[in-house]
Amino acid sequence: MKQQILTRFDIPLLPCIALVLFFLVFLFYIFWILKKENNPLFESQARLPFAEDKIYE
Amino acid sequence: MSSGTREMERFSYDDSIVRKFILASVFWGLVAFTLGLMLALQLADYRFNFGLEWLTFGRLRPIHTNAAIFAFVGNGIFAGVYYSLQRLCKARLLNDLLSKIHFYLWQFIIVCAAVSLFAGFSHGKEYAELEWPIDIMITVAWVIFAVNVFGTIFKRREKHLYVAIWFYIATIITVAVLHIVNSLEVPVGLMKSYPIYAGVQDALVQWWYGHNAVAFFLTTPFLGLMYYFIPKAINRPVYSYRLSIIHFWSLVFLYIWAGPHHLLYSSLPDWAQTLGMVFSVMLWAPSWGGMVNGLLTMRGAWDRVRREPVLKFFACAITFYGMSTFEGPLLSIKSVNSLAHFTDWIIGHVHTGTIGWNYFMIVAIFYYLIPKLWKTELYSIKLANWQFWTATLGLIIYIVSMLTAGITQSLMWRAIDGAGKLVYPFFMETVVRILPMYYARAIGGVLILTSFILFIINIYKTIKAGQTDFTEDVFMAPALKTAKIEVESTHRKLEGIPMVFTVLVLIAVLAGSVIEILPSFMSVKFIDKNPNVKPYSPLEIAGRDIYIREGCYTCHSQTIRPLAHEVLRYGKVSGSGEFTYDRPFQWGSRRIGPDLARIGGKYPDMWHFRHMIEPREVTQNSIMPKYPWLTDHKTNYDTLSKKLKVLKSLGVPYADEEITNAKDLAGEQAKKIVGTLVSSGVPETMKDKQIIALIAYLQRLGVDGGKE
Repeated sequence: MKQQILTRFDIPLLPCIALVLFFLVFLFYIFWILKKENNPLFESQARLPFAEDKIYE
Repeated sequence: MSSGTREMERFSYDDSIVRKFILASVFWGLVAFTLGLMLALQLADYRFNFGLEWLTFGRLRPIHTNAAIFAFVGNGIFAGVYYSLQRLCKARLLNDLLSKIHFYLWQFIIVCAAVSLFAGFSHGKEYAELEWPIDIMITVAWVIFAVNVFGTIFKRREKHLYVAIWFYIATIITVAVLHIVNSLEVPVGLMKSYPIYAGVQDALVQWWYGHNAVAFFLTTPFLGLMYYFIPKAINRPVYSYRLSIIHFWSLVFLYIWAGPHHLLYSSLPDWAQTLGMVFSVMLWAPSWGGMVNGLLTMRGAWDRVRREPVLKFFACAITFYGMSTFEGPLLSIKSVNSLAHFTDWIIGHVHTGTIGWNYFMIVAIFYYLIPKLWKTELYSIKLANWQFWTATLGLIIYIVSMLTAGITQSLMWRAIDGAGKLVYPFFMETVVRILPMYYARAIGGVLILTSFILFIINIYKTIKAGQTDFTEDVFMAPALKTAKIEVESTHRKLEGIPMVFTVLVLIAVLAGSVIEILPSFMSVKFIDKNPNVKPYSPLEIAGRDIYIREGCYTCHSQTIRPLAHEVLRYGKVSGSGEFTYDRPFQWGSRRIGPDLARIGGKYPDMWHFRHMIEPREVTQNSIMPKYPWLTDHKTNYDTLSKKLKVLKSLGVPYADEEITNAKDLAGEQAKKIVGTLVSSGVPETMKDKQIIALIAYLQRLGVDGGKE
């Protein structure tokens, strides 16, 4: 069974397909991020480095 | 005092420790850069070691790399982490005394490292050369750092852990795992040990460590610092927090798999090489995700880049990070790697990262911090601009010269004529051709060192004009236990639970490590057993230790790749079984000189004798330093029995008799070698000298494995 699958599928193709899929997902994600910018969901977290400026005595 | 229903607490930050680490980083930076220039000059002209044993390239190079990575960059990381962590947690560091112990212990380790490496106490594994007592001290210092960071996190007054802190956590956890696993060794004496791994297995563990030292010491902490300091310097939040989440997890998960790309075409099993290559290429995505996030955070502020040195250095650092992380995956592709590996291209690539990314990031962070910590203005923007352009120009000259040298030399190595013979059969031909590039590199080095001196002048003047009264400001914030958090997403919830977060990071990091390394312990098929390969004789062991001490692996490799030109030049392809008794493995990463895997028996003993005293006597135009002291120093025969005993405990099949009589056996072999030299005028008294032990080792290299 295992050998049947192996003969019907060129193993070196696997990493190539995996890489192409990976980059497609990555590109899709990057464009989505660029379009979306900072979702208000993360607004307060993204502003954490500035919180320190407001707590002087 | 209260704010609404919350109880307010008063606290201050420990900035004195940040100041200490900044000053230490600058001092060690000067040392690292100066040593780098000395090495560049030595490669252009071997006489720049001034005939001094402790200044030879093989000893100096590990000091340069360790000083750059662990002293300059290390202290810079601690400064940046301690400054930002306190503010992001709204809490003082766990314990002031612990911080001080961390600081002084780290500086003590650096001094011990420098002294021991100058003296030739080396473990022979790149970026992990330090011997076991120093390894233990590093572990202690790292644990102190971890306790201080996690202790601060646990007493924080801000529920959410900002993205910078995730990167700090990943750094602490992973560096601990890498250092401990790669440093497992059995001591022979106070400053000598043998690793528990051998040959291919040792190579795999070492480059899993070596690559991830780059990843988790030179990259992740700086990404954390980038996420904190760039928004602060620009005065606007990170471009996309969402992207930072995917950036973090994908980077941490993928990076750990990439180590085997340092061993492509070696005798490491193909599946491990392929895994290393595929994951390295995939790394491009998260790396550029981070770069995009950093650059886009600076959107709308590019006009300030022209005026403000802090932003200028940040922008350039991120750009170099982008170039370096594009080049890295490219170099990991097998066909590209076959051209670039063992050449100066890799040296150029490494410096794109350490100078372009780490040095520039440190400068930007320090230019941001120093005026704040000393409560003054930066002394001179003009001087900072001069520093920027000198460093950038120096780095460009460095990178271009190394890339040119690397590609030129590799193309010459692989050139085969129509008759199937090497076009450049003499290795030196390929060295002479790239020597102008070595001079160009040295010019680049002068400019980079000059830029660092300008940096020192600028911050010295700034600090001098600054305040010496370091009264700590008092801050107020509500205690964490009374703070209410509205959780709106899974990851946001996770950011409030440091323990779970840390465990998940550990799992992400261990996944790749276990899958790649575990089979090497469990599978007998991992190494092809070669019945011809026998353990080294006692004298050869002594010679091998001298080879390691002198850092010969910094210029010579010991592995022949299955490439036509390598077989023509060096001989039979190296098999994994040949390295069964190599502790540590000595494959190297750069061929400044030729590969030595099959050097055994290629030349007579007298050739090696003359070569070590004056390389140019037997190899015209050689750039190798002289080793005349090998004819003065005696071989320590007294420790040989103990060495063999330790090696036997690690699985090397030495007979008890061999261990007991190690000294006599070594003496007999030395006598035989000297016998071949006497007719050429070498005195018989030479038999106790280190040069004879080294010849014994060199003449053994590849002999067993070369047999059909």
